[in-house]
Amino acid sequence: MSRPAGRTDWADEDDEESSVQLPPTSITKNKDGTETIITYTIRDDGKKIKTTRRIKKTTVKTEVNPRVAERKHWAKFGAEKGKPLGPQTDTTSVAENIVFRPVAAWKASTEDKSETEKKKANLKDAKIKCRICSGDHWTTKCPFKDTMTPEGGAAPADLADDEPEKAGGLGAGGSSYVPPHLRGRGGAGEKMGGKYERDDLATLRVTNVSEFAEEQDLRDMFSRYGHVTRVFLAKDRETGKAKGFAFVSYADRMDAEKACEKMDGYGFGHLILRVEFAKKAT
Amino acid sequence: MRPILLSGHERALTQVKYNPDGDIIFSVSKDHVVGAWYSHNGERLGTYHGHQGALWTVDVDPTSTLLATGGADNTMRLWEVKSGKLLKTWDFATSIKRVEFSADGRQLLGVTEKRSGHLGTIVVYDINPDPEADQADDHALRIVCDESKATVAGFSYLARYIIAGHEDGSVSQYDGKTGELLYNTQVHEDDMQVTDLQWAPDRTYFITASKDKSAKLITAESLEVLKTYVTDTPLNSAAMTSVKDFVILGGGQAAMDVTTTSARQGKFEARFYHKIFMEEIGRVRGHFGPLNYVAVHPQGTGYCSGGEDGYVRVHHFDKAYFDFLYEVEREQAQANL
Repeated sequence: MSRPAGRTDWADEDDEESSVQLPPTSITKNKDGTETIITYTIRDDGKKIKTTRRIKKTTVKTEVNPRVAERKHWAKFGAEKGKPLGPQTDTTSVAENIVFRPVAAWKASTEDKSETEKKKANLKDAKIKCRICSGDHWTTKCPFKDTMTPEGGAAPADLADDEPEKAGGLGAGGSSYVPPHLRGRGGAGEKMGGKYERDDLATLRVTNVSEFAEEQDLRDMFSRYGHVTRVFLAKDRETGKAKGFAFVSYADRMDAEKACEKMDGYGFGHLILRVEFAKKAT
Repeated sequence: MRPILLSGHERALTQVKYNPDGDIIFSVSKDHVVGAWYSHNGERLGTYHGHQGALWTVDVDPTSTLLATGGADNTMRLWEVKSGKLLKTWDFATSIKRVEFSADGRQLLGVTEKRSGHLGTIVVYDINPDPEADQADDHALRIVCDESKATVAGFSYLARYIIAGHEDGSVSQYDGKTGELLYNTQVHEDDMQVTDLQWAPDRTYFITASKDKSAKLITAESLEVLKTYVTDTPLNSAAMTSVKDFVILGGGQAAMDVTTTSARQGKFEARFYHKIFMEEIGRVRGHFGPLNYVAVHPQGTGYCSGGEDGYVRVHHFDKAYFDFLYEVEREQAQANL
């Protein structure tokens, strides 16, 4: 490439670079009927690329209606006159995929259900994690928001009474904003409600539970000592295996005490259970 | 399946039709233009210009050489399919709501609208299938509907009868030669307009769609109702599928109420019913306006629908559609093996 003297344009230079001699494309026919095509290209970073492709050509014969075949070669007319072959993007497009699966007993609700499921799946992807029990629900919806402290939070006893909102209040999530002048007096607000007291009195925390445990197993075991109102076994959202701890609530605190005494150290599965009263949340 | 979206029209589609080989789709819309499209890839073959008003109807003859259209400009026109050339214009006092060729392509029928001073009529013209030939100026037959105007009409097998659907929900059978009224039966609810009439391939029976939210399968010979398909929305169109025994119903909220309803409430879906068991088997959504017409590929490999939203959606069925069988059908297939 010859460049007029005195012109050292950067654009020209760029031009010259790409005109590095490339070996010509070679096509060789192999004995087995395939073809080997070797082409050379230059990548953006200036490296030379040799591409070797081996292709086999097969002729696929399909029978078409001769009338249809003839019509395919009709010249376009009207608004399409003179337009090139193939669908034009301004008039023809491909819509999104539609799943159509006929079913025998089709109900209008089936599709709606799938949509709610989709929403659920979306929520799953959003990685909801309770800060109290690490379950897959919002912290506000946690069944133990009244009986447990947030995981990894400071020990409740360490918190001074006049600033309970720091971990407890905000952690609970459900409580609304409490103005500073009310914080001391109101204590932890709604947490002082009856629900919290009731739960706390007869709820046992069971730890060192086998990961293969089921809620029903626990319910069966603990029902021996009295009426069990609630069993919660923390499970991993992904694997479905137990996380190793559970909560058992009794209707009566006496039963709970008895159960605590008897079940602590009880062998369940391959592990020894540890049972204690659930700690008060601040 | 991935539908192909044909967006060549600027206003609501009124009718879409496959030609008998199923390779071309014709579409008419309120934007005065007729479109021709290849059904396999959605490529537009061309457009037919000349109409001065909204188009209501289109039909193609059995050899795909002649195309008939009718519209609100009070004309019925004949076109050469291949070139888009206008061959013939028939003028009327009122608009043309429906055109249809007979099975042999030798006759063309048109339904005219009723307006003050003019009763609704069905006119029949003899057609010369040669696009170069002159077409007759005068009608061969004229049926006047003095009771209730006809909204749809078609030729039965061998053009023996002309079957018409009326505004009052009744269906009539006329003699194909003399135009004499043979039967009139109230198949749909009173004053619920028959909105569509499509034939089975052999033209011995047909399906009607009506504003009374139902579609019915009716014999041409005795106007006996064979099957009824009940839906929850006014229907604009009904079609039968070949290969599989299904019917496709299209409809939705009336066009004037569309802006006040969401796509979900509007029920703008193509509904698939089993032809024999009369049970709904699925829906295909996609349009965001009522479906004004559904047409099935003559070979049963797909269907297309034209909507009030101005789009034609061309669907090619996939394997799940062809594999679907009722338990009894499967047992029968097993027994026959």
